[in-house]
Amino acid sequence: MQILEQAQDLPTAGNIKAQWVSLWTGPAVGAVLLVAAIAFPGFWPPMSPTMSADQVAAFYADHTAWIRASQVTFNLCGILIVPFLSLIVVQMKRMRQTHVFAYCYLTAMVSGATIFALSNVFFLVAAFRPGRNPELIQLLNDLAWIVFIAPIGMVVSQFVLLALAVYFDDQEHPVFPKWVGHFSLIIAAAMVPAAGAAVFQTGPLAWDGLWSFWVRNGAYALFVIVMFFVLRKAIQRQAVDDGVISA
Amino acid sequence: MSTATRNRDVWWMTWFFPAWYAVFGVIICLLTRVTPPPRPDVTAAEKVAFFAQHHLTIQIGFTLLLILLGGAAMTNGLVCYQIKRMSVGSVFAYGYIGGMSVGALPGFLLVTVCFLTAAYRPDRNPELISLLYDLGMLSYNGSLGCFTAAYLVLAIAILYDRNEVFPKWFAYVSIWQIITEVIATQMFVFPSGAFAWNGSIAFWLAVVVFSVWLGALIVLLRRAAEEESAKESAQMVAAQ
Repeated sequence: MQILEQAQDLPTAGNIKAQWVSLWTGPAVGAVLLVAAIAFPGFWPPMSPTMSADQVAAFYADHTAWIRASQVTFNLCGILIVPFLSLIVVQMKRMRQTHVFAYCYLTAMVSGATIFALSNVFFLVAAFRPGRNPELIQLLNDLAWIVFIAPIGMVVSQFVLLALAVYFDDQEHPVFPKWVGHFSLIIAAAMVPAAGAAVFQTGPLAWDGLWSFWVRNGAYALFVIVMFFVLRKAIQRQAVDDGVISA
Repeated sequence: MSTATRNRDVWWMTWFFPAWYAVFGVIICLLTRVTPPPRPDVTAAEKVAFFAQHHLTIQIGFTLLLILLGGAAMTNGLVCYQIKRMSVGSVFAYGYIGGMSVGALPGFLLVTVCFLTAAYRPDRNPELISLLYDLGMLSYNGSLGCFTAAYLVLAIAILYDRNEVFPKWFAYVSIWQIITEVIATQMFVFPSGAFAWNGSIAFWLAVVVFSVWLGALIVLLRRAAEEESAKESAQMVAAQ
């Protein structure tokens, strides 16, 4: 993005630059988290809920180093998605409406990120003393997986709020196109069934199942990728409107 | 554009607020049986029996809550919005969502996950089921500071506000909420009696105060949205 010479020192230019940096944190953090996901032995294939306590303990004992490395990476970098999601809040505040949806979104975003952070801690405590009583390792592993997969309410409300904000944004040139609202609701619908991971031990809804693991996580990744391009376009349009870059 | 649609997003959230608390009430009272709370002064075997007796409704109720969890964030965002309309600036509004965002995890995500994890493997060692029971109940009933912080900034905001978004008496109701949180500290000490997590003072007094607070807030949020609509249509008329 080439900021115009005469606009360099304007506050509007600073705003656009800040948003542009936040935008690019998205792919950077996404790449790091993808590496962490590939490195986590518990994802290939996802650990089965039907493993016995002894099998779970043996798994942590056999893969201690990779579990620690990958979950520490999730722990350290997972919440770095927040600046990217904050961009959605900033753009929601530009929509033709009060800011109520944006504040609701911000609240849900913070709580949702906190839940993700808790799951890393459970994985890491399970890997901390592989010699612990297997029943305790299984309990920590259950908590880690259930907290990781099942509490989708905070992200689902973000998708619903984003969709509502897009639908209510009835200016001539809306901040996001209407399809972003539909897309957001489809992603929400794809993620909702994963709540079943806290109940089912086998089948598509179990935490290692086709729906709860692959569709749920794939849907969220797809959302981040699509929103990167949607946000990129919105920021570029805002920059033109603010006279910060040439059209 | 008609005047009625200017703050229609606020109206949506204002109607969503009581609807969400109604569903939440059904989940915690009728399905998952965490309110009123099960006893703290029972043996591990009795806790296992509690999970066995309510196995299905705990799973249905808390799975539903996992999906609807974000409703809490949405109701708190609405209160934040109304605090922002006060004459006192944004600091208390941000403080409110800060406190409440923290509260979501210890305040009810943890009890949800603990109870579902207990129900997930009923044949788990009873000592571990007992641990999940205590961890769930104490975090659910004993998460104090996150809400105290939110009530405090809300009370101060109302007292300083000159826009009359909420009436002053509601600040004192919010302060009573803080008092019940202070009393509730005792549930970490007493496993039975009036100050236990199911006690007449630590629990039932708090429930009465909370019900008054919530009921008043539902009415006041509606009133605030009505006044906002009226103010906007007056401005529209003035502009014409």
